[in-house]
Amino acid sequence: MNRLEWRDVWAMTLEHPLFSVALTLIAFQLALALYRRSGWLVLQPVMIGMLLVVGTLYLCGIDYANYREGASMIAVLVGPATVALAVPLYRHIKRIRQLFWPILITLVSGGVLGVVLTLVIASALGADLSVLMSLSPKAATMPIAMLVAEQIGGLASLAAVFVMLTGVIGTALGPWLLGWAGVDHPAARGLSYGINAHAIGTARALEESDECGAFAALGMSLLGILIALFLPLIMG
Amino acid sequence: MIIKGLTWLVVLQLLGSVINLSLLPALPGPIIGMVLLFGVLLLRRGIPEPLEKTAALLLQYLPLLLIVPAAGIMTSSDALLADLPAIGAGLVLSLMVTVPFCGWLMQYLIRRTERRKERQL
Repeated sequence: MNRLEWRDVWAMTLEHPLFSVALTLIAFQLALALYRRSGWLVLQPVMIGMLLVVGTLYLCGIDYANYREGASMIAVLVGPATVALAVPLYRHIKRIRQLFWPILITLVSGGVLGVVLTLVIASALGADLSVLMSLSPKAATMPIAMLVAEQIGGLASLAAVFVMLTGVIGTALGPWLLGWAGVDHPAARGLSYGINAHAIGTARALEESDECGAFAALGMSLLGILIALFLPLIMG
Repeated sequence: MIIKGLTWLVVLQLLGSVINLSLLPALPGPIIGMVLLFGVLLLRRGIPEPLEKTAALLLQYLPLLLIVPAAGIMTSSDALLADLPAIGAGLVLSLMVTVPFCGWLMQYLIRRTERRKERQL
């Protein structure tokens, strides 16, 4: 084959619907391997995978709409996965019943305080409305935050970045801030990790103890559902 | 097994989007689906095995699924970069308050509940 034909083959490969799927799968495998080898919380697989995908799309000159169309067979599963979040929530029902009022009071006041403080500070410093709407659900797990952000006039992808930043910063500062406040009860530490740093905080909480991890997972699930149910109603 | 569980999840999501379109435009379909599933689990008082397996599989690979929508940042990176100082300050300062606050409040409330129980004994 001469040079011209090779160029055609390359162009047709880029246009193949499976190109986006392959790109996403490979980016995820690389990101996961990097995360596991390094053990660094900052290297979240979603973040690194996303950067690899965006970098490749730029290099190959493909725009996001084309990529999204090809990768829709992966993205379509986000919906069922969001529905599936009810399963881990249900597993915590026994703990929730035991400490119902402490959990509910902490979740509601902590959740409201977090949203209000973030919005007040960011808007005082002049952030755009669409950025603010993407910031407000940042304490929820990513699929919920993305759906809620879109619902109230923000951008799903911005919300994804904010969720990751919150998780990483919250987990990095968490042990020091909780120690400073004299919080040593594992359930209280866990709940705070879950409310403030969702899945990334839960991974850190599990390193402290099983009870701490369980309450972090519980805080994350419950806060996710509270944000999903009430933020669109209040902001909308 | 996996397909049986997936059928549950897909049907509930669809049901959620029907409710979203007809009755509750404020809540996204998958979130209504999640609440419906939680209700089903409460009524059944347990998690059916196929559902448990599919949920575990999907949630394990959630980061893979989320790469696709997250890559949309390439169309909105201007908004992110323009407001970066405001975003950074909002995120960090609010966490400096809420992390110790949530931990302290929960610890206080747990100890209070425990003291009350001791008094009752």
